[in-house]
Amino acid sequence: MIQETKAIAQTLTDILGPAAVRDWENIEVSQQKHISETVSSGTTSTCIVYPNTQSELAQVIACAYQQRWRVLPCGSSSKLSWGGVAKGVDVVISTSRLNRVIEHAVGDLTITVEAGAKLSDIQAILAASGQFIALDPSYPQTATIGGIVATADAGSLRQRYGGVRDMLLGISFVRADGQIAKAGGRVVKNVAGYDLMKLFTGSFGTLGMISQATFRVYPLPEASQTVVLIGIGDAIALATKTLLASALTPTAVDLRSTAVVTNLGLGKGMGLITRFQNITESIKQQSTRLLEVGQTLGLQCSSYTGNDEAELWQKLAEQIWASGQEPEIICKIGMLPTAAVATLTLLDNISHQQGIGLIHAGSGLGLLRFNPENALNCVTKMRSHCQSHSGFLTVLEAPISFKQQLDVWGYSGNALDLMRQIKQQFDPENILSPHRFVAGI
Amino acid sequence: MIIQEKQQINWQPIIKQFEDVVGKNGVVQRREELLTYECDGLTSYRQRPAVVVLPRTTEQVAEAVKICDRNQIPWVARGAGTGLSGGALPVENCVLIVTALMKKILEIDLENQRVVVQPGVINNWVTQAVSGAGFYYAPDPSSQIVCSIGGNVAENSGGVHCLKYGVTTNHVLGLKLVLPDGSIVDVGSSVPEMPGYDITGLFVGSEGTLGIATEITLRILKTAESICVLLADFTNIEAAGASVSDIIGSGIIPAGMEIMDNLSINAVEDVVATGCYPRDAAAILLVEVDGLEVEVAANKKRIAEICTKNGARSITTANDLETRLKLWKGRKAAFAAAGHMSPDYYVQDGVIPRTQLSFVLQEIENLSQKYGYRIANVFHAGDGNLHPLILYDNSVPGALEKVEELGGDILKLCVKVGGSLSGEHGIGADKKCYMPEMFTEIDLETMQWVRQVFNPKGLANPGKIFPTPRTCGEAANAQSAKQFESVERF
Ligand SMILES: Cc1cc2nc3c(=O)[nH]c(=O)nc-3n(C[C@@H](O)[C@H](O)[C@H](O)COP(=O)(O)OP(=O)(O)OC[C@H]3O[C@@H](n4cnc5c(N)ncnc54)[C@H](O)[C@@H]3O)c2cc1C
Ligand SMILES: Cc1cc2nc3c(=O)[nH]c(=O)nc-3n(C[C@H](O)[C@H](O)[C@H](O)COP(=O)(O)OP(=O)(O)OC[C@H]3O[C@@H](n4cnc5c(N)ncnc54)[C@H](O)[C@@H]3O)c2cc1C
Repeated sequence: MIQETKAIAQTLTDILGPAAVRDWENIEVSQQKHISETVSSGTTSTCIVYPNTQSELAQVIACAYQQRWRVLPCGSSSKLSWGGVAKGVDVVISTSRLNRVIEHAVGDLTITVEAGAKLSDIQAILAASGQFIALDPSYPQTATIGGIVATADAGSLRQRYGGVRDMLLGISFVRADGQIAKAGGRVVKNVAGYDLMKLFTGSFGTLGMISQATFRVYPLPEASQTVVLIGIGDAIALATKTLLASALTPTAVDLRSTAVVTNLGLGKGMGLITRFQNITESIKQQSTRLLEVGQTLGLQCSSYTGNDEAELWQKLAEQIWASGQEPEIICKIGMLPTAAVATLTLLDNISHQQGIGLIHAGSGLGLLRFNPENALNCVTKMRSHCQSHSGFLTVLEAPISFKQQLDVWGYSGNALDLMRQIKQQFDPENILSPHRFVAGI
Repeated sequence: MIIQEKQQINWQPIIKQFEDVVGKNGVVQRREELLTYECDGLTSYRQRPAVVVLPRTTEQVAEAVKICDRNQIPWVARGAGTGLSGGALPVENCVLIVTALMKKILEIDLENQRVVVQPGVINNWVTQAVSGAGFYYAPDPSSQIVCSIGGNVAENSGGVHCLKYGVTTNHVLGLKLVLPDGSIVDVGSSVPEMPGYDITGLFVGSEGTLGIATEITLRILKTAESICVLLADFTNIEAAGASVSDIIGSGIIPAGMEIMDNLSINAVEDVVATGCYPRDAAAILLVEVDGLEVEVAANKKRIAEICTKNGARSITTANDLETRLKLWKGRKAAFAAAGHMSPDYYVQDGVIPRTQLSFVLQEIENLSQKYGYRIANVFHAGDGNLHPLILYDNSVPGALEKVEELGGDILKLCVKVGGSLSGEHGIGADKKCYMPEMFTEIDLETMQWVRQVFNPKGLANPGKIFPTPRTCGEAANAQSAKQFESVERF
């Protein structure tokens, strides 16, 4: 195996030069760790290749295709371990050097970037023109555009702006056979040809390797304010219902489990955390109206602006994503929005108020984080609850041993044949992230 | 050999099978009754189907599709037939599966803001069904009082309010599909981002080439507290375009922004006689803003200032529903009005980067003069989606060909400046030969992979979207056509 890896590294070095290839011994420890968390066999000896251009990326994949090497696409590899466990990988292809901005059409509110560009770098460029990509994914400092698209990873802002799929206007990708293809375009409205942007969003690197993406961007909101309501589940449910049925236009409406509220020292009970981002007159009035709802329902009410607000959101994100001492288990969930509070109540109960939970109240999508102790039981219970409310539970991060005990994806529909055929058509030799996706795709 | 196959179809036993599924009333086969189904909104292309089937349920659709599959008969889905790209245009010896009887709203879940409908439900019925409770369905094509949700899904239709809230695809959560082999699958759900590939997103905009949607789960939105429409009129169209850029540049995202030029202003004034668009204006700009009252008031003021700065002669605003509808009425009647101005019109819907507006309008004017046809321009200015209406007389021999050539030049222009062939009407039969302007052979081959998965025998809506050597000559790319020979048998 080791020898094989050496041969692969040599072949790739012949194509791209030594600076583009790194063998296992020379991979940073943190990245070794991410890769090991992704691949099941103990044989994690593999090399990483760093193409510098789209055409180099195409050359590498064409070579992998010829040699039938199993490829693991990665960006900066934060979420590399998300989803299924790979049976084996011959080469990891990193997009981290494909990080250029191709075109920022300021007046057209679009930006086209290479897949390895970090979202945080892109946001800094956009901010200079008063714009932003309306995504607040996990690991926002390191997440790359390709990784965000491949995992469909959006955050709280989806309340106003939608998911990754709603923002992606065009893509280029390298197919399994090494050919470069594209779909969509660089304009905000376009129906020419099939919408392969949607197909690739959330495909976890199984259909092709994304090389470029065009996003819709938005003007940065003038002002921002966050209202926090805390209390017992029933009152929080009522506040949520009132808010969603009102004419208020929040950009984020998040429900948080009791443990989150406790950990942040916000109070006692479940939390409803609502962000308004708009012109100043509007956010003031919207916050006031929501605070009134909270007071009427006897909830503990507070509101945040400026640095306090930024810090609050930072801490909320860390509750889910900060690395702990032990490996934790992180799941993505979905359910009908009306079941959201019941879901967090169940989480509180089965985790003895230790489970970290977040549900975006408008969409019913969310995240759960458990301590590994007794996690299998919790995950199983939460999954059947979500499924009984038209939803799902997918295990994103967990120790491999845990993932091997259950179906990580939790797909319960009847379109598997279709999905398998799509995979077969796009990647007939099954070289791209093999066996990592739904039903072993 | 294939041609022989076609001639050998013995329709009577097949029609009997359809009748067994949908009853005698659900099958149309008399020549004069079939006339209605010869074309969609692109009336210059016509082809009579062999038979029309009108199912009422998913199971009936599945059975009808299976009959086609067993007998190797091509079929085309049709909703209300208002499509403007020939998407529902029949092919020779085909079965047309029409969803006109599938008109039930199956479920309304206000609290979860979801509605489940059958595909034949008319677009504005959805809003009507939920407006009492303060909700609406956002995508609002101008044809909304007649077009079907199934057709909207297939075309990924847009409307004048899609600038802020997105087009059809942003509002479809799940679908029940009958695939071309007659199997039934559910994709998406009432919850977004279910595990697995986003087949819902892939299906929306696939123009009836991947199967038939028989149940559609839609997202509905809460009606804004306050809505205001501004009408500004300008003595030159560039100033209207500049106002659009400045509004966007100022950080405001209106619900919609529309421009009409002098020719279309006069056309609608003639027809619907609204009396609110000044006939001597070079262009009018309609802007709708919504949100909280304070927000609408502030944005209204800023937009009015921007328009004035760009030379608007006058600005009218309306907050109440009745006046707002009146201001929109002319815009929504623009296509119909074009039909009154001239015996025929041909509409395109290319998209350009908003910032190229002035340049492209000038080029369109040049093309109009070069070809000698008048062109009325109405467009979704906020997202750069143009609708040049080329006025002509189809009874003049050769006119249609000329007009199509002119339309083609406009599309090439849109692609050249970085835009797209179509913003909302679809490629259909109409624009497929221009696809190579926008996509490489590899791009098209990759899209054909998708079609190959869903529609391996090519029976579902053949001859649409993708260029073929037979209809497009050299424009079609030889390689992928060869690989997908089976698809183009009909
Ligand atoms: C505070 C902190 C804590 C962290 N904790 C963790 C942790 O607990 N666990 C952890 O794993 N990481 C952790 N990270 C790592 C994180 O920093 C990552 O390096 C970073 O987010 C990059 O991920 P990515 O978006 O590039 O996608 P990746 O993680 O590289 O990839 C995600 C998925 O997308 C696919 N993919 C990526 N690019 C493409 C492409 N171009 N085309 C097709 N498919 C593609 C991959 O195959 C994979 O399936 C942490 C980081 C920080 C700052
Ligand atoms: C006056 C006028 C104004 C218009 N304004 C707009 C506008 O503002 N915005 C806009 O986007 N469009 C507009 N259109 C175009 C047209 O109304 C839309 O494309 C509409 O969505 C078509 O719906 P339909 O029910 O008429 O579909 P049809 O024309 O019957 O079919 C359109 C396509 O959908 C397929 N199809 C139909 N039903 C199904 C189904 N259930 N499953 C799968 N495929 C199916 C057909 O095969 C065909 O390819 C306008 C048209 C007219 C005539």
